[in-house]
Amino acid sequence: MSATPPAPKPRGLRRSMSELHTWTGLLLGWLIYAMFLTGTVSYFRDELSQWMRPELPAYRAAGEGPAVADRTIAAMRTLAPRATLWSIEMPSDRSNVVSVSWRTAKPPTITFLDLDPVTGGRLTARPTRGGDFFYAFHYQFHYLPAYVGRLIAGLCAMFMLVAIISGVITHKKFFADFFTFRWRKGQRSWLDAHNGLAVLGLPFHVMVTYSGLVILMHLYMPWASLLAFKTPAQRQQLTAQIAPVIPPSRPSGTPAVLAGVGDMVRQAEARWGVDQAGRVIVNNPDDAAATVAVVRGEAGRPSRSPRYLLFNAAGTMIGAKDDVGPAAETHGVLYALHLGRFADVPLRWLYFLVSLAGTAMVATGMVLWVVKRRQKLARPEEASFGLRLVEKLNVASIGGLSIAMTAFLWGNRLLPIGLPGRLAWEIHLFFLVWLATFVHALVRRHRQAWIEQLAGAAALLFLLPVLNAIVTPRGLLHSLAASDWIFAGVDLTLLALGALHAVMAVALLRHTPQPRRTSPRTLAEPTLGPPLPRKAIP
Amino acid sequence: MTHALTLLLCILGFSALASAMTRHQQELFQRTLDPATSRRLRAAGWLTLLLALGIVVARQGWGLGLVSYSGHTSVGAGLVFIALALRGSPLSGR
Repeated sequence: MSATPPAPKPRGLRRSMSELHTWTGLLLGWLIYAMFLTGTVSYFRDELSQWMRPELPAYRAAGEGPAVADRTIAAMRTLAPRATLWSIEMPSDRSNVVSVSWRTAKPPTITFLDLDPVTGGRLTARPTRGGDFFYAFHYQFHYLPAYVGRLIAGLCAMFMLVAIISGVITHKKFFADFFTFRWRKGQRSWLDAHNGLAVLGLPFHVMVTYSGLVILMHLYMPWASLLAFKTPAQRQQLTAQIAPVIPPSRPSGTPAVLAGVGDMVRQAEARWGVDQAGRVIVNNPDDAAATVAVVRGEAGRPSRSPRYLLFNAAGTMIGAKDDVGPAAETHGVLYALHLGRFADVPLRWLYFLVSLAGTAMVATGMVLWVVKRRQKLARPEEASFGLRLVEKLNVASIGGLSIAMTAFLWGNRLLPIGLPGRLAWEIHLFFLVWLATFVHALVRRHRQAWIEQLAGAAALLFLLPVLNAIVTPRGLLHSLAASDWIFAGVDLTLLALGALHAVMAVALLRHTPQPRRTSPRTLAEPTLGPPLPRKAIP
Repeated sequence: MTHALTLLLCILGFSALASAMTRHQQELFQRTLDPATSRRLRAAGWLTLLLALGIVVARQGWGLGLVSYSGHTSVGAGLVFIALALRGSPLSGR
């Protein structure tokens, strides 16, 4: 049970791996943390989007698929009569909008729009990116070309993978310390927490990091497929293995009203089950050479390899995609595992919790880096510029991100509905608040900065359901009484996260430096910053 | 139902595995159990975890079942970890 003092070790594999782990973890740790946390909340992306459009009632799929498809096709005829392709993402019990997009050839454009599933018309809700903002941020950031953001995210994921593997090699007592947490041992306690969070969620951490790289592998390592598939036709075949794309066909030029798409959806549902049609893609709409693909939804199938039925303009089924090659299936499974969209509600919560543990693992690792170096100092004033900088960046990227993400939701409730560019302003608000937390961390003393930011996040999280109850008719009491589990779930989760931040703030406030019996050099040295003023000790 | 049962079995399994370890025996029972008991606890822990796997795979199939199982083992082990940590907490009054 003794804290192991860092004895001089021969520079073996473990030592090298330990250094590799420390520095890969630190260098991009702040970005990795932000990716992990925004990615974690994205497991409830659809629910968050619903919460952010309180004007829009919840939707029950309940066999409405064919009718929704027909309504939406009628809407597309007015919205995009000259498009070469329509794509319709069907609503579900999780998502209460129909997400449509269409392409035009001249000029080449693609337009995205959300429609009301009940009326087929435009949404009458406030403009917002909803949960899609966090989702997109977690792999391509913002204010950057998507391509650049994705490259940075790929670099982070690669660092993360290196950190995981080197971390496992570094970990001395993987099984002996499986359940071990030792309180009040400074660095040792942080290491125990870091190890616990890492080891218990290891299958998830490895899966999510590796699959994240696989999802964007054609961006990160395009050379093999560029070499293997030279002609456009071959590329087309490759794409058809990993995504539901209809083989391109030229429009005949002869107009022909498309047969009922609702019937096609009905046929697909007969094959896969009710409400299992997830998407409808129409190529050359209202042309004699039109083709329609009804794509299977994601629920209950842990693979994203394409499954669809193909219909011609007259509504006759002309093909079915029922399998792909083993490599493409592997890709599909990894893709699905990462997104977890196949998961039922309990499984989605498991995803969320273990991913949250992963987020905490990154955070404890970053704090550990600071604590380890702080403990080596005889006096806190000796801290180098680098150490102080890392401390401040830690505060703002961990505590500050919680504040900024909550501020994004506050903005959703408080920004005037008619504000020009409202959708963008919600996002600007997120970044402005995040920036402010960096300034705050710079000007405040380290310990105070942590306490204030954690307490601030707790307050914002706690008060958000209150604000929601004031400015919308869908407050927590109402949603509980109405069994509106999406709104109640978001509100309750906000309260739970508020409690989590409050506990951390209070723990830090009450934290008193423990004289370490084993090591006299850390006498009266707090682990997170300069000594606590005596009067602040409760 | 499957989810609740699997999670419960995972918690039981990991609790048994933790109580088979000398360090946690000291914390839980203030003494070390004899090696035969520890062995039995360890075996019971692994068997319970296997049973949980069997149940979730039988109900959900291999694909979905394995994903669920991975989540339940992580959360189950995490809960045992937290429970043990809270027991040893300086604030727990023990």
